[in-house]
Amino acid sequence: MPDPIHQFEIKRLIPIELFGFDATFTNSALFMVLAVVVVSAFLILSMQGRSLVPTRMQSLSEVMYEFVAGMMRDTMGQGHDEGHGHGHGHDYMKFFPLVFTIFIFILTLNMFGMIPGFFTSTSHLAVTAGLALLVFVTVLILGFTKNGFGFFKLFVPSGVPLVILPLVVAIEIISFLSRPVSHSVRLFANMLAGHITLKVFAGFIIMLLGAGGAYGILSILPLTMATAMTALEFLVAFLQAYVFAILTCMYLNDALHPGH
Amino acid sequence: MANSNDGQDRHRGQLSPEDKALFERRISDLGKKLGKARTERAANKRGHEGSATRGQGMAQGLKMGSELVGAVLVGAAIGYGLDMLLGTKPWLSLLFFLLGFAAGVLNVVRGYNRLQTDITRETGGNIGKDLPDGDDD
Repeated sequence: MPDPIHQFEIKRLIPIELFGFDATFTNSALFMVLAVVVVSAFLILSMQGRSLVPTRMQSLSEVMYEFVAGMMRDTMGQGHDEGHGHGHGHDYMKFFPLVFTIFIFILTLNMFGMIPGFFTSTSHLAVTAGLALLVFVTVLILGFTKNGFGFFKLFVPSGVPLVILPLVVAIEIISFLSRPVSHSVRLFANMLAGHITLKVFAGFIIMLLGAGGAYGILSILPLTMATAMTALEFLVAFLQAYVFAILTCMYLNDALHPGH
Repeated sequence: MANSNDGQDRHRGQLSPEDKALFERRISDLGKKLGKARTERAANKRGHEGSATRGQGMAQGLKMGSELVGAVLVGAAIGYGLDMLLGTKPWLSLLFFLLGFAAGVLNVVRGYNRLQTDITRETGGNIGKDLPDGDDD
């Protein structure tokens, strides 16, 4: 049976050493660069015409924009309805570039993973943890610059008796610190598990066919399963990018309006 | 005369009482179906029916699961780190493991509440109420 883990192997393409750190250009990095190039080229080329009546490619770019903008409106737009006395009601759109980049980058990497022979960069915890920490550090910096010590209100829920307040604050802090962990592990685990499952079912087909005779007919079962799994994996690839982006929006919203 | 062009009269909009009653029932049926379809569509706004809805449910479930586990792991890690620093093995590990579990449950409850308000906002609060029984005829 083919090794289902083999597909996640990191290959060192161009060894680089920077200030004593190993910064080798790997196949994972190659596909991340490829994703950036493909997305950038698509967006720049499709928006070249900038016509009022969009071409097919232009409207695809516009759909992507609308989708992310709508997602941000849903998750971050409500804080302004309560009236915080500042901003023009759309200052969360400053973070549109960040959220859009994260969403499209992860979506492209996930979809690259569905192409046979391509490497899935998001199936490595290092990549997803890097992205999650980027969001986490952004939230910390943003929270403290925007609210100062008021950011600590996030850890002190209102209306809690003083006696159990230390306990509640400890729980809140752990809950806050667990965000980057669950944020990164979820994406990585989904991609890893999905690809392993697909590989295992595909391996069953070959094993049953190789066994010959009546076993060959049985190979239809894993084939059906693998086909269904492939469709599900496309869905998961999209949903995980979506979940990652929507959580980014929620965390940014917490930084902008702590103490909810 | 009236007998011979009965069919033509019907085309001009003069319905017999039974036809009219039938027609009105069909309209009200259609209204019910439309209301139900609207509620369902609002509920499934982001996904489509079937697999997409199931996929979204799965994503939500995995999200909550990972949030629970993540908090327990972080709590245990903090406790272990503090134990190493302060030499109070194993007490802080135990305490923070439990606090981590509490934080995990808090994460799940918060996630559930957020999901619930989202659903209520999208459907106007009629999910599960507006569905007439015997919907397939």
